[in-house]
Amino acid sequence: MAQAAWEKPLSSAPQHKGITSSGRWKYLVGGLLILGAVAYLVVSGMLSGARYYISVDELTGNQAQYLGQNVRVAGAVLGETIEYDSENLIITFTVVSMPEEYDNLADALHEAVSDPNATRMQVRVENQVKPELLQNEAQAIMTGQLGSDGIFHVSELNLKCPSRFIENQPDQAIAHPGV
Amino acid sequence: MPAELGLAALVLAFAVAIYAAVASLIGVRRKNSALIASARNAALLTFPLLLMSAATLLYGLINQYYQIAYVWQVSNPGTPLFYRITALWGSQQGSLLFWCLLMSLFAFVALLLNWRSYPRLMPYVITYTMVTLAFFIGLSLFLENPFARYWIVPDVSAPNGLVVSNVFIPANAVAPDPTRLAATARGLNPLLRHFGMIIHPPMLYLGFVGFVIPFAFAMAALASGDLTTNWIKATRRWTLIAWLFLSLGLLLGGRWAYDVLGWGGYWGWDPVENAAFIPWLVGTAFLHSVMIQEKRGMLKVWNMVLVIFTFSAVIFGTFATRSGLIDSVHSFAQSGIGAPMFIFWAAVTLVSVILILYRRSRGELKSEHAFAGFLSRESLFVLNNVVFVALALVIFWGSFGAPIASELFLSTDITLGPDYFYTVTVPLFIAMYILMGVAPLSAWGAMSARALGRALIVPLGLTLIGLIFLILSGVSGIGALLGYGIVLMAGFVAIYEISRGVNSRHRATGENYLRAVASIFSRNRRRYGGFIVHLGITVIGLGVIGSTLFQQETQQTLALHEVLRLGSYEMRFDGIDIGQVAEDDRVMDIANVMVIRDGHELASLRPRFDMFPASEGQAAMVMHIPGAYSTLENDFYVLLVGVQPDGRVTFKVYVNPLINLVWWGGIILIIGTLISSWPSQKESTAERVKLRRGKSAAAGAVV
Repeated sequence: MAQAAWEKPLSSAPQHKGITSSGRWKYLVGGLLILGAVAYLVVSGMLSGARYYISVDELTGNQAQYLGQNVRVAGAVLGETIEYDSENLIITFTVVSMPEEYDNLADALHEAVSDPNATRMQVRVENQVKPELLQNEAQAIMTGQLGSDGIFHVSELNLKCPSRFIENQPDQAIAHPGV
Repeated sequence: MPAELGLAALVLAFAVAIYAAVASLIGVRRKNSALIASARNAALLTFPLLLMSAATLLYGLINQYYQIAYVWQVSNPGTPLFYRITALWGSQQGSLLFWCLLMSLFAFVALLLNWRSYPRLMPYVITYTMVTLAFFIGLSLFLENPFARYWIVPDVSAPNGLVVSNVFIPANAVAPDPTRLAATARGLNPLLRHFGMIIHPPMLYLGFVGFVIPFAFAMAALASGDLTTNWIKATRRWTLIAWLFLSLGLLLGGRWAYDVLGWGGYWGWDPVENAAFIPWLVGTAFLHSVMIQEKRGMLKVWNMVLVIFTFSAVIFGTFATRSGLIDSVHSFAQSGIGAPMFIFWAAVTLVSVILILYRRSRGELKSEHAFAGFLSRESLFVLNNVVFVALALVIFWGSFGAPIASELFLSTDITLGPDYFYTVTVPLFIAMYILMGVAPLSAWGAMSARALGRALIVPLGLTLIGLIFLILSGVSGIGALLGYGIVLMAGFVAIYEISRGVNSRHRATGENYLRAVASIFSRNRRRYGGFIVHLGITVIGLGVIGSTLFQQETQQTLALHEVLRLGSYEMRFDGIDIGQVAEDDRVMDIANVMVIRDGHELASLRPRFDMFPASEGQAAMVMHIPGAYSTLENDFYVLLVGVQPDGRVTFKVYVNPLINLVWWGGIILIIGTLISSWPSQKESTAERVKLRRGKSAAAGAVV
């Protein structure tokens, strides 16, 4: 019996008044204008904000093509090359090319820095405090431009450090001799 | 023992959630009220079971059961008790369990509060909430189990045996030595040892899981055919509460970034920040558009779409954060939960859209009114919805759409940097503030341009006065003044509307002004609470404009007692304490600097450089903790960058104008939302009557 109260009877609902055809046109034109404006914003935003993600190999192998262009590059940080001038806020280091596809980031980074034949590229970051995650075998994801000096000048530096973020690999140190 | 107990509770919760989902669906289809009641009890049981499971993990954390892999990964013997407790949500597995616990809590409360009022919807609400809960418990149980333990199994390649993490004891395995486990345990990520980060994740989770309830009610309405405004009435407060927590989570995240990450800002358009912002935007659109359905019986399909879109954004945001899909400082580790989460997200969205199309094809979601004019409140609300949804879509495109599409179709990876977000979002935020100023002044049904213009005179006048004040205080630049003007007008409209309400109450009843304020707020909490929220958004807007457009920065190396100047401030370097060791073994270099203005010494700040030393299996970590002198006018924000070999110290200093308005605006917003969601006197009486009626109806339906 209670069922009846749950549905609002259709007859009691006010009559649906259709929009006149001129009204419909107005809304359609308004809608298209908004859509056009948003599309314009997206396109102009993409033109100013798009960065191509390329590998270290691709960048160093096609220097002329990418010279002065804003690109995004990922590589493995070689710890011993990190130098930090804290007075002038200049960080320099070398990144090593790493495969684009990998199963385990930590392994991929480790193999990259251990491979003496992998492509290396010098990196310079200015006006930035040395980030806490910049260390050996971290993955550097860098946005910037390749200079004519062959150095990659970074404007935005992000780092991923698998030893810190991938925590599900138990340290074999747990199984210590004598246990 | 705690691992086994927690695991057993988790398994039971999983089974019980599945039973509740299936039983309630069968029960409602077969009109079997006993089965529905059983499903309800089962659904209620998920909360105590998950509470027990989370409590055992917490017990393990507090009592240092390092054989539990999660405990080993997020704590060590040096971790203080407070961080042991908060480590419950410090990493993937624990936070997933915590997420399930919060979701079951919401379902528990919703079932208790709404059961009698909406008997036709509730069985379906059980199904939808429990399917979602079972899915997340399943992820926790099968892919990211927080109760996995370390074992040592014999292996030819490892003379000391191979360490594996497993829920059950592998064959021939032995438990590792507890002392060795304690000695090697990792400890909580130093970045997470901050008050903002301690409560930021739970707030975000509460916001995220809170949207499960409106979604479940909307789906219940579609499934049951009860397409009246019942589902909206039932979920109004839930939506506000979820929105409140999500807002809090976003604000605290910003505060954490400002205090800990040391780059002088609070929002970086990081994909994970955006993943939490998108549901907030769609949720805000939904909060506004439900009013049109309540008042005018319009936008029924649109509201369904919005609530589904919000929930979908929540699930996608969770998927994006937890699957390792995107590179971000916020992301959890790369994980196997990506594929199932994506499938769940796609399935939920697909089922929801099919249900909407089915009800729409039967003509059950028709509008009861047509739009009467461009300036009617409903038209402006729709425009507001368009702006919010456009913001959500362009942010989604910039964060996820473009990178994924370029990889799939262009064989190249394209990411969009902050430039994209500034170009695209600023005009849309301007439109949002304009609508926030105009829409409250328009009327339902129809409104002439002349009448709207008349209503705008007072707020516009006040805005002009505000702008003159700003120009006199030195603000220049057309862009900044235009921005301030638009934002100020939205705020003045809110104040104007409140004052109009107070005046008419005062005239009608003769109550004094203070009493009249109390009366209008207690009689129409939703409307006037909403205006307070608008005021909060205005204050945030002022803070964002000030801190973005007028930030000043410098970086200098100072000898002892040397002074640097920035804006109207001076800073004197008074010394440095090197190598201070804290309780958690971090080594700190602490600089002492004096902030001076107009010759007056205002505050002594102690910016820090924290070094967490390397330990076995773990690299050293460094953090720059800023010192800040905060006033409503600006923040003087100092970072200790480095100590030079000659003893001089390098500082990076920012002056961030109006930045504290961002946090104060957030507090106003929260107060406004609390006022809006508090039941008004009238409403609680009506609810009580309804509850009484519902009781008898439910009794009739069940018996």
